[in-house]
Amino acid sequence: MSANNSPQNDRAADPRLEQLAASDESLLHVHDRASAGAPDVGARYQLLPLALLFIFSGLIFYGGTYLNRYSGHFSAEVFDERKLPGGEVQVVQIDPITLGKRQYALACVTCHMPNGQGLPTVYPSLVDSEWVTGSEERLIRIVMHGLKGPVTVKGETFNAAAMPAFGQVPGSGYNWSDERIAAVLTYIRQEWGNDATPIETATVAAVRAEIPARAEWSEAELLAIP
Amino acid sequence: MKNSAVFFLGLFAVFALSWAGIVLGTQAQLGDLAPHFDEMEEKAFPLRQSGLATRGQQVFQDLGCIACHTQQVRRPDFGSDQARGWGDRQSVSRDYLYQARPLLGNQRSGPDLANYGARAEARELTEADMLVELYNGSDERPPHRFLFEVREILGEPSPKALHGVAPEGYELVPTERALNLVAYLFSLKQTYDFAEAQPYEGGEDAAEGGAQ
Amino acid sequence: MTTSSSPALAEVSDLDRSARWPLAFLILASLGWLVFSGFTALLNTLQVLEPRLLADCEWFIYGRLQAIQESAFLYGWAVNAALAVGLWLLVRLGGAPLRAANWVAVGALFWNLGLTLGLGGIAAGHMTSFALFQLPDYIQPLMLAAFAAMAAPGVLAWTGRRERPTFASQWYVVAALFLFPWAFSVAQVMLLFAPVRGVLQPIIATWFGQNFLGLFLAPIAIAVLYYLLPKIKGQVLPAYDFAPYGFWALLLFASWTGGRHLIGGPVPAWLPTTAIAAASMLLFHHLILALNLRGLFAPGGSLALKFAAGGLAAYLLSGLSDAVFSMRGLSVITHFTYFEQAQSQLFLGAFSLSIFAAIYTLAPRLLGIVWPSVTLIRAHFLASFIGIPVLVLVLALAGWQQGVALADAEIPLRTIAANTRPWLQVAAAAQAVLLFGNLTFLVHFAGLLCFSRRGGASIAQFRQLQALEATAS
Repeated sequence: MSANNSPQNDRAADPRLEQLAASDESLLHVHDRASAGAPDVGARYQLLPLALLFIFSGLIFYGGTYLNRYSGHFSAEVFDERKLPGGEVQVVQIDPITLGKRQYALACVTCHMPNGQGLPTVYPSLVDSEWVTGSEERLIRIVMHGLKGPVTVKGETFNAAAMPAFGQVPGSGYNWSDERIAAVLTYIRQEWGNDATPIETATVAAVRAEIPARAEWSEAELLAIP
Repeated sequence: MKNSAVFFLGLFAVFALSWAGIVLGTQAQLGDLAPHFDEMEEKAFPLRQSGLATRGQQVFQDLGCIACHTQQVRRPDFGSDQARGWGDRQSVSRDYLYQARPLLGNQRSGPDLANYGARAEARELTEADMLVELYNGSDERPPHRFLFEVREILGEPSPKALHGVAPEGYELVPTERALNLVAYLFSLKQTYDFAEAQPYEGGEDAAEGGAQ
Repeated sequence: MTTSSSPALAEVSDLDRSARWPLAFLILASLGWLVFSGFTALLNTLQVLEPRLLADCEWFIYGRLQAIQESAFLYGWAVNAALAVGLWLLVRLGGAPLRAANWVAVGALFWNLGLTLGLGGIAAGHMTSFALFQLPDYIQPLMLAAFAAMAAPGVLAWTGRRERPTFASQWYVVAALFLFPWAFSVAQVMLLFAPVRGVLQPIIATWFGQNFLGLFLAPIAIAVLYYLLPKIKGQVLPAYDFAPYGFWALLLFASWTGGRHLIGGPVPAWLPTTAIAAASMLLFHHLILALNLRGLFAPGGSLALKFAAGGLAAYLLSGLSDAVFSMRGLSVITHFTYFEQAQSQLFLGAFSLSIFAAIYTLAPRLLGIVWPSVTLIRAHFLASFIGIPVLVLVLALAGWQQGVALADAEIPLRTIAANTRPWLQVAAAAQAVLLFGNLTFLVHFAGLLCFSRRGGASIAQFRQLQALEATAS
């Protein structure tokens, strides 16, 4: 860092002033000539270009391989470079009981109560009810289109039942899919000690296909159905 | 390189490559990323930030918290993030969909905060606990006294005041910013299991087979 | 600008005189910011060691001070100095006096004014929280306009050059001046004014940061090295016919390597993967640079050559470490630790050393007098060559230890913080040494400016320039 005596300097270099040797013009011109490349005398290949070409090819090969191996096919969904997109799409099976419980908590619970007992004289109980554990066809229709008028449950008569329509039918305030209706029905048929068969989505869909639109059912109409 | 036009064209082309690849490419891939609607929960994930949390994020950003805290959980076999209990799964793009400014961070002097809200819930940490921690600091973390006011109790004490910190006759009241900041920290949850966040299960063979 | 009374002018070429005051202002400002950022960096490290330091002063709490320090270094020191040196190279090699020098002066004024306001904004809590892009949104358009005003005369110097042939230094400087506004404006629009959604923000911020370092600061430093070696030694570069490949390799690959900072994060895996591959491919650029500039490492070089040799060594090492430590197996340890800070310090050190070499060479030519003091030069040299290696080494070791400990979930963060303390104490000492060195440089340059006005120092006696020896390879 101190004063240097470099061989080509005729006087001791002064660090306070950096002396330049070459002019800018010659710098430009000489290097411009150099960049044209040395003439290839006698078709003799020079070692340096070959070595550089070799190294560059090696780097390209390495980079390409690495990219191919760990790019996850450039998918936006792959966050682990070892994964590949789409390989393991999982169809998540929703447990109907869990879904049904949610649906019940969303709507049914306001009248039929969390314990399914309903409210004496106003809202019928679902526990051990012949309507719930009995005919699937009737049960589906009640939830799909609603129920109006007097109804007798477990020997008790409710004079003004007003069950709204829940299915995807005209006049429904809920528009629950068939899957949801099946889930909630399966839930109430198997909760609180009830022990009836689950209801399939297909059965619900068949009912809706058969009767796409109608007013609320009455007890008599329902009892006419097996 | 003697011809300016060709030279600039070259510069333009080469840089446009990276611009198109990284800026436009990711924009095309992630620009229309949608939240995932969960049929079961009847909600779309990630959840939207509450207004308080959004303001809290602003405070987090203004104070430069990002200098010490990251907000990204890495996969189980890449770092000890999950072993440290910072999260249960890898963070994915969708987690940050509703954040006005995702603060991924690049220095981990303090713990990762991507999932802080869920952790605080599990440890039953209350907002008041968090505020006291914020006020006191620790050996590694500076105190943030300027987010609080110590004032003399005149008449009715403030309902927001923190207990057991201020001297007799005084109360320690967190400012609006402190409350927002804590609301933000408690809102940080990456608990919903997105399909793309599943850890990689396959062995070496699977990856090799796929790459061909 | 009427300094014709100064006796020094006789020695100064018309080219250098045309750019005198704008460039002198840029250098003075850059050195001022360098000292300021060195001071804040030291304070910032002390805050890690003693968290209560300034903790009650909201303007200078740790997070904000770090953003201030980073912005002052990059936008204050690096950009000002890079523009001064870059413009000087373009004027010299262009062979025509600097055109539109007023634009440079106005741009420099507004750039530094904007930066001052921006740093105040960060202190007041308006930082963006994007690394390398922390200045508040309201100041950013002004910065872009000021930069354009300073860069435009550079492009004019290229298009209006006297000679048709061009030299490597010119390519690098023009590329830097041309590409930075592009990346800068993209970042401003997509991050601040019409922000993209979710993780696209960190992706674009990383892309901008990489372009800032890799396609603006690095090319300027390389341009300096390419110029000084043949100019001082009077020799032709040995592998110059490959220089264009090295140039295009940098432009092609450097911009892609930013994704390595997102490894393991919530971004598509292809992004870090391409970055890792690109960092390796970029080594081709480093190889060609090393082949051409290996003469810098020859013993017995002058002061500027020694600074330049330090810069080249740091640059090559930085490229190598980026390529190696971006590999997933290693970055799993180094990511999020002080090791990454060591890598960035190594790169910035390469830049600073190269620019020091350039300033020591160009200032006497700009002002017509020699540097006043050998002692101050030696002090600066020693401080730089002790401070930078020690800082980088210590941060790397601290980071490695931190990373290994972080990977073990049994070790609590408290213990890790306690274990890095001794390292950081050494780092603080290194930063103090650097601060001292840069302060002497600032004082020295200010002295040079004063003497050039008063004519109190020895007039520079430039040696007669020779034609380059064409057969040196």
